[in-house]
Amino acid sequence: MSPTSTSTSTYTRTKTAVYLTDVVMGTIADILAELKIDITSLYRDWKQDESAIAAWIEEESLLQVVLECHQPNGTTAPIIEFPVAYRSSGEGDATFTADRASLARYRAKLVRVPAGTTYGIICTFKVTPTPQPGWGPGHRASTEGLKSLTFGTLASAPHAALALRYLR
Amino acid sequence: MQRHRQVAAAPHRKASETWEAIEKLVTSTLERSPRITGKDVAAALKAASPVGIMLVAGGHLDKHPVVVVADPVYLTISTVSGDAALSLDEDLGPVPGGTTVTEWTVYLPTPDPVGDAVRSAITGAAHLSADEPPGESTTKAARLSEGSVLDLDALANRARESK
Repeated sequence: MSPTSTSTSTYTRTKTAVYLTDVVMGTIADILAELKIDITSLYRDWKQDESAIAAWIEEESLLQVVLECHQPNGTTAPIIEFPVAYRSSGEGDATFTADRASLARYRAKLVRVPAGTTYGIICTFKVTPTPQPGWGPGHRASTEGLKSLTFGTLASAPHAALALRYLR
Repeated sequence: MQRHRQVAAAPHRKASETWEAIEKLVTSTLERSPRITGKDVAAALKAASPVGIMLVAGGHLDKHPVVVVADPVYLTISTVSGDAALSLDEDLGPVPGGTTVTEWTVYLPTPDPVGDAVRSAITGAAHLSADEPPGESTTKAARLSEGSVLDLDALANRARESK
């Protein structure tokens, strides 16, 4: 591989990471707003989370971003998973697309949560990730007994695609 | 004067960087006025930054622009996301007309489902509004009307002087 092609590939991988991070963060904000969950901390920590997720997608360590809604009675539901599927090499004809219109229709069907519900964002990895400020070890809530509904591909970019699964 | 500017969002820029580009565009336009300090404009837009970033990332500004009403400037700013962002020919320099601005308000859009969050975040903030912006034609009509009155006065004076 020539130095020029390496440089081009790195550039596009960065763009893929920026794009998919934007879509996942924007979707999380929209879902939380739709569910009337307080998003003050989401936008307070936005830059930190944005940087971390983009870095992990770029290095291809990120398996999925998980949004967990913690209800006052101790139930964790719904859970929304955003799995990332990487392509071994950037697809030359792949474009940066997001299905926001379908997402808006899908979002409107989400089951409401009681007042006082809070949320958590968890990332899972396929390989050990580079440490990022503000992020530490954590664990996921159990998904046992939850029914899974697949939205399908939410966004696509040359080096990876982002899907959405809804568990309730 | 109505102007529209498009700012390239993801994948060209992160949402936070896109909002910073919008902040700079508005600040550089308004600080040309001797009656407005860039520091004040930047501070107001920084206060809107959390929800501004959220509006960018959700793709809301692609369809619902930020509107800056600062007579004679009427500036709408939208974002471009996806493939189109990579080929967008941006013009992020100061918008003409800023030198005579005295009053200014930045209107943020309130699309579903984040409208309530936007309203809540900027409540009470100076120079920010989540209301529907006044139409550009309304402000232009007001200026034209004012101009007509001034012209009539001048004509009346001239008529008196010639007698």
